[in-house]
Amino acid sequence: MKEFLDFFINTGTLKRKFRKGWLVHQIKNSESTAEHIFRMAIIAWILGSKKKLNLERVIKMALIHDLCEVYAPDLTPYDPLLPKNSKKALEVLKKWPKFTPSLKIKKYKNKYKSELEGLNKLISKLPLSLKAEIKNLWLDFEKGLTKEGRFVKQVDKVENLLQGIEYWKKYGKIQHRLWMRWIKEIIDDPVLLEFIKVLENKFC
Amino acid sequence: MPEEKKFYLTKEGLERLKKEYADLKELKLAKTKGESPKLLHSEDLNPEYLVFQEDISFLQSRIIELENIFKNSAMINAPKKEKQNIIDLGATILVEVDGQKDEFTLVGSLEANPTIGKISNESPVGKALLGHRVGDAVIVSSPIQTVYKVKKIKYKIS
Repeated sequence: MKEFLDFFINTGTLKRKFRKGWLVHQIKNSESTAEHIFRMAIIAWILGSKKKLNLERVIKMALIHDLCEVYAPDLTPYDPLLPKNSKKALEVLKKWPKFTPSLKIKKYKNKYKSELEGLNKLISKLPLSLKAEIKNLWLDFEKGLTKEGRFVKQVDKVENLLQGIEYWKKYGKIQHRLWMRWIKEIIDDPVLLEFIKVLENKFC
Repeated sequence: MPEEKKFYLTKEGLERLKKEYADLKELKLAKTKGESPKLLHSEDLNPEYLVFQEDISFLQSRIIELENIFKNSAMINAPKKEKQNIIDLGATILVEVDGQKDEFTLVGSLEANPTIGKISNESPVGKALLGHRVGDAVIVSSPIQTVYKVKKIKYKIS
């Protein structure tokens, strides 16, 4: 049981790990990683039930997808463009970050490597079968190996969008036009596209 | 009966899946025999498969999924030279959007990875770009409209 207790204490730190993307937008009382995971799991379950998916796998995947952030840094799409000066950072946020194809690949590989290391460290003391299950779910999420993995990966972005739009309504600090543009480049799941249409009609 | 979903794959994508399939079959065979497969000692083995090996039911479901993909796959080939000025699957497109330049490659859903610029042909932007040519202004319509100006089209695939 000790290994479980240590694991639960470590995962509990995500309740107070505030998401970097909102911090750079200077959003007051912004959400933590655990709060993002919570709503994402709900969305994945409810919208996932409209599809032929293994819902247990879907919900578990949503629950573990960001556990690596106990140790890995929370990177944003804007890294490494963000200056330390917070006023200058707000200027950078006015445009969607664009990188050359080779830099996109380099960023992607670095993020994957640091998150995999973070996950391995977090689950290292767990029993072998549980360790394998968590790693299997995480790899599926990252690589989109199964239909569940591809769906949950997109739900992650949709929850992020919903939170961004809510902050835009409340504080106006989010470039919502850019967010709506971005989401239409990255989502192709029909159920999620239908949900985005409803969201857009309600808020935009 | 509803038509089965087609999986559009590049040659590279299809080869990667076939290699994974062969490796997983070998791992499954060894697992059921209780042996340590030679493949496990190969430097060529993708470390992800070792994780799958721990879970025989997942290994099996992944094998079935891959078989279904192969059954319903369609290869993405470069179009004939005279049609290479039109956006189709496999095209790498340079666009200008909101004053910013960006580059996408249009792929099927299975190979989509927007983080590295691979956009799905089933996404709203992917769908809207299909069939357009250099110079076209492609509107992705919704309450918020975005215009993608097509600057360049090239086919890096054969």
